[in-house]
Amino acid sequence: MFHRILIANRGEIALRILRACRTLGVEAVVAYSEADRESLPVQLADEAICIGPADARRSYLSAPALISAAVITGCDAVHPGYGFLSEDEGFAEVVRAHDLTFIGPSADVLDRFASKEGSRRLLGSHGLPTIPGSDGMLRDDGHALDEADRIGYPVLIKPSAGGGGKGMRMVRTPRELESAIRICRSEAKSAFGDDSLYLEKWLDDNRHVEVQVAVDRFGRGIHLGERDCSVQRRHQKILEEAPTPALSLAARTELAERAVRAVVAAGYENVGTLEFLVDRDGNPYFIEINCRIQVEHPVTEMLTGVDMVGLQLRIAAGEPLALAQSDIKLTGHAIEFRINAEDPAHDFRPGAGVVSRYHAPGGPGVRMDSHLYEGYEVPPYYDSLLGKLIVWGPDRATAIARGRAALDELLVEGLTTNVEIHQALLANDAFLEGHMTTNLLDRVGSGAFLAAAARS
Amino acid sequence: MPSPKPEPRDHDADLASIDALIDRLVPALTAKLGATHLGELEVREGEWRIRLRRPATAGWNGELRRTTDRSGRGVAAPEAHASGTRSGPAPDPGHRSVSGSNGTGPGGGHASTAHPPRPAHEDESRRVATSPAVGVFHPNARAAVGTRVRQGDVLGHVDVLGVREDVLAPADGLVGELLTEAGMAVEYGQELVVVALATPAEAAH
Repeated sequence: MFHRILIANRGEIALRILRACRTLGVEAVVAYSEADRESLPVQLADEAICIGPADARRSYLSAPALISAAVITGCDAVHPGYGFLSEDEGFAEVVRAHDLTFIGPSADVLDRFASKEGSRRLLGSHGLPTIPGSDGMLRDDGHALDEADRIGYPVLIKPSAGGGGKGMRMVRTPRELESAIRICRSEAKSAFGDDSLYLEKWLDDNRHVEVQVAVDRFGRGIHLGERDCSVQRRHQKILEEAPTPALSLAARTELAERAVRAVVAAGYENVGTLEFLVDRDGNPYFIEINCRIQVEHPVTEMLTGVDMVGLQLRIAAGEPLALAQSDIKLTGHAIEFRINAEDPAHDFRPGAGVVSRYHAPGGPGVRMDSHLYEGYEVPPYYDSLLGKLIVWGPDRATAIARGRAALDELLVEGLTTNVEIHQALLANDAFLEGHMTTNLLDRVGSGAFLAAAARS
Repeated sequence: MPSPKPEPRDHDADLASIDALIDRLVPALTAKLGATHLGELEVREGEWRIRLRRPATAGWNGELRRTTDRSGRGVAAPEAHASGTRSGPAPDPGHRSVSGSNGTGPGGGHASTAHPPRPAHEDESRRVATSPAVGVFHPNARAAVGTRVRQGDVLGHVDVLGVREDVLAPADGLVGELLTEAGMAVEYGQELVVVALATPAEAAH
């Protein structure tokens, strides 16, 4: 195991890593920017070192500053947390070049999974279902119609060049396809100078389900179940739960087993998350892999009792997995609420300011991962995550009841939080019945959603 | 897993691990940094600290001066960061403070509420040159006490993995005091050199 770790992150995840280090008897040095001088992880750390100004490009995103800090404080490993440099293969490589261990997959592995398209091809070749699409570019209308029939409507027409959703059209019938394909061709030609098009299956109301895996350096892998992250606002997860209400026990077990077989075969290493879209009929399609610890890892910890960050450290230190798949017991139901400094009344505008009062809820099955304390000034420079409230119950209904009570008990004064969106979710039929889809909040509109909850 | 409280017999083990660290670290760093100006490197392991120093006048020829000393609290006090917890019980509750010279004192931790804090050594009559980066501090001849400097003069540099970041005089005046020894690890914003402000009469000269 490592002797001393540099925590190259901030906020609640810096605190979470510090706690894992304490548990394992590993010293931790917290690297912080000037804006985080008063933060809780800095105050609780064995040692803390200021690495730069508030601007993340000169602190949390500066590889030289972080590595210099690790070297002069005598660290032998660097934990990147999530976000910032956590999946940057260049950073992982420089860390290694300075004889430090990057706590995560090696640079080679990060590189192999760096591109979404490449990861889909690679894991697709190892047995994961990917979103069906046309076989190469569309040659002509006849080819397009044949391919659309084979894939099944609705389909998405996508230009080969460009990106970011530009020039895409969804069609539901062959007639729509025939007229849309001409428009798409001319649009693609004028926008990108390239009129090649291809088709992809359109998933109407999808769920986001992800599988947590852990693979040691010796190619032994396990899964730790899945999480459902379908509650999203503009593609940002705001609530996660496990197990997913979208799949039966047999279906989610099969998905998790396929996921871990594929990543082991593809040479993945350390903890990772495979994200899937699940369509209305329960068919999963692999979309991407996250090569880091995730914000929502506590959901898995509540179900399995496994310290995910500790596991990540042990794997990075070269230890073989001490857990077999049969040791992983998924018990009960857990929900995580992301508590953000956002104002739901003003389009979730992020906020900052001094926390004048703070109280974290408690009781059976209630956990609060947060770096807040009374008098702490939330700086305006970074993301708006203030903490995560996680509740566990033997079943979903109990978890929801505990969630309601805990959200009511949570006290954060001095800044506006998004707590009311969580309270609205726990009063919403679609959520209570387990039918949330990734587009639901945006389709209804978060404002209308909150208003409906207030009326009920 | 390191033992939290080493016994005296661990000294040999400490030395062995220090040697191992140097054998691994120095070639890696020198290879990486190549022809850069890495002048000094300090590595700590438990109660031991090792400083590698290139002779000031000679080029890098692989010759190392190795200083190994018992780095007790007295030695550690003025330095950039507190010694590791392997040296036994934490010396004081302020142990975690890395800003040995920021004036907050033992137990004070990081008590100021504003960021960045006003340098503790500043007042109406003096300004303090702070570290532009996290690395190893190398003052130059102009940082000698009593030297007259102009605002923006280079008083030395902080070595960040072989890249020099200049330490600049914050104002016109006389170098009053070095708050950090040459060769010490420093953090970003750490106070390094006190400059006594030139009075208007002096500045007119």
